[in-house]
Amino acid sequence: MAQVKLENVTKQYEDVTAVDDMNLEIKDGEFVTFVGPSGCGKSTTMETIAGLTIPTDGGVYIGNENVTRKPPKDRGISMVFQNIALFPHMDVYDNISFGLRLRKYDQEEIDQRVENAADVVQLEGMMDRMPEEMSGGQRQRVAIARAIVRNPRVFLMDEPLANLDAELRVHMRTQLQRLHRELDTTIIYVTHDQAQAMTMSDRIAVINSGELMQVDPPLTCYNEPNNLFVAGFIGSPSMNFVEGQITNSGFESEYMDLPFDPETQGVEPGQDVTLGIRPEDVYLEPTRNQAGTPSKTYDMVVDVLEPMGDEVFVFLLAERGIETSADEMGAGQLLMSVEPDADVQANQDKQIVIDRDRVHLFDSETEQAITHGLK
Amino acid sequence: MSADDEHPDLAAMEQVQEPDLDRGPVEAWAAKMISNPDRAYRAMFYTATVFFLVTTLFPFYWLFMVAITPGRELSEVGALTPGGFDPTSFITIFTRLPFHRYVFNSFLIATVATVIVLFVASLAGYVFGRLRFRGKNALLLLVLVTSFFPPAAFFVPLNRLFNTQVAVLEPIMSEGTLYNTPYAIFIPVSAIFLPLSIFILMTFYSQIPDGLEDAARIEGTTRVGALFRVIVPLSAPGVATAGVLTFITVYNEYFFSSLMTDGRPENWAPMLEGILAFQGQYEVDFHLMAAASIVAVLPVAILVIVAQEKIVSGLTAGAVKE
Repeated sequence: MAQVKLENVTKQYEDVTAVDDMNLEIKDGEFVTFVGPSGCGKSTTMETIAGLTIPTDGGVYIGNENVTRKPPKDRGISMVFQNIALFPHMDVYDNISFGLRLRKYDQEEIDQRVENAADVVQLEGMMDRMPEEMSGGQRQRVAIARAIVRNPRVFLMDEPLANLDAELRVHMRTQLQRLHRELDTTIIYVTHDQAQAMTMSDRIAVINSGELMQVDPPLTCYNEPNNLFVAGFIGSPSMNFVEGQITNSGFESEYMDLPFDPETQGVEPGQDVTLGIRPEDVYLEPTRNQAGTPSKTYDMVVDVLEPMGDEVFVFLLAERGIETSADEMGAGQLLMSVEPDADVQANQDKQIVIDRDRVHLFDSETEQAITHGLK
Repeated sequence: MSADDEHPDLAAMEQVQEPDLDRGPVEAWAAKMISNPDRAYRAMFYTATVFFLVTTLFPFYWLFMVAITPGRELSEVGALTPGGFDPTSFITIFTRLPFHRYVFNSFLIATVATVIVLFVASLAGYVFGRLRFRGKNALLLLVLVTSFFPPAAFFVPLNRLFNTQVAVLEPIMSEGTLYNTPYAIFIPVSAIFLPLSIFILMTFYSQIPDGLEDAARIEGTTRVGALFRVIVPLSAPGVATAGVLTFITVYNEYFFSSLMTDGRPENWAPMLEGILAFQGQYEVDFHLMAAASIVAVLPVAILVIVAQEKIVSGLTAGAVKE
């Protein structure tokens, strides 16, 4: 059990900067998730904490001790890997006890600890199986047992659920949360899947291109994203963005405008801003009362419906004939989610409102958030 | 169902014989093979197998025949039959000369050389197979180039070196030189056979997933510890292949081992010197040389049989191992 601190950590490969001047403090016993698109440097950041990668610059501290130059084995950490990485030539007992045997514990103590660890992940009676004889979920549990058996100060998990099937992944997600409660150890978890990040962590660290974008509790990242990247990355489906400009009367763009007094929102006329609104904060005109502060009414055309069962995603166009592209939402397009029983058909003309309390404004140039919710 | 209803291909298959054609026996045989290629493959397989068995085993048979023929009747040895029966040659080789000492010398030198080669090649194979650094390919090429030279090119400088008196060695070595010691043999021989082993082990070690090494290092080993506790055991077929190839080559090595000793068994002369020692000034005891050759093969034969399974999977499975 220990806090972890990254101080100006930078990792440079020949021509790529994988981690760029990262500062982060993780409290004792906290469950922190590094999340970001693939190749954003989250795994490299974890490897510098593990000691598998030595940072080009900066320091890594575990429990107030500078471990930047220490080999992984002397850092008091353990790790679960994406490809599980059980030693294929050892049975379950040997895999779990590997670290303890290397540290020359008494046989009695080893047996005791292995038994406890196996108990936590429900692996009793499988001690002499070989990894190849086990299912993916069982192997993953062995890997977790191997990690907890040494009572590490920090528990690192690099996409541990990525190779499991969807059902097992959801099951293991809850198991990991219980495990965290039981062990009360600092856990650092890496994933590209924001659903895992949202559901499990005390705080999530959103990383993009080697830089820390935001470190906050999941709901803060969701409701008050620091910048455009976090706003777009956290939440599924993603937030709607409308690029426009501030005028004396409020926000204006090609297809959409939103009246407000620029001064009270901390923006200046002429400023380029991006308006963000999540799909669930867009309402059909008849249900406008569900919005906290409904905006003016917009005329839209229903393009495509995606019924998910518990909700329906509705793709709207500002007018007929707007070009749509496959990879991103362009100008004049808006995504809303409605109740499954809502009266919406493809190609219908519909009137919608947005919730002014849930509108985010971002500076288009710096991509930083200006305000969350219009005052 | 009349013949008209059948699919034309099926009808064609029914007609195995084409009675209109008058074929000779060879043509008929060829036609049979074409219609049934499995037979042809099997025939080729047996032909090849018999060919290899005869070419590899016949020399042994002939050695055995010569070995059991008494010395006076050597001229009676036929192409396939021995000239007489006298198995005492197999005992004489140990009584007339300490042939067991020659075999022991070779065996010991080969064992030590194999251990050294496997250890050094493991470290080198790890570096070349798993680390990324500037100039890796150039360095690897340089290492491999050593094995391209004929061993004779190294002989003169090495012989001079090993005959030089080194003061430090004087208390332990006779005359303070490495000449007439096992070191003079296995040092150059290990160096010459090292590149091949490095290459084999590099291929194997590079295929072990990174995650396993990382896991071992986090669990408490150093890089070297991870190499010997995880990577080497998982590459067992490759290690066995490299080890056996090295052992056999060193055991059979003659060039260095004969030139770096004066040929006496107590001065670490190798097994081949022992076989040649049955060649006197006025007569050549072919039956004793034959018996000695057969005895000398035994250690290697046993080793290969023991390691066979590993070697076969090592030679074939290396490229696709996950």
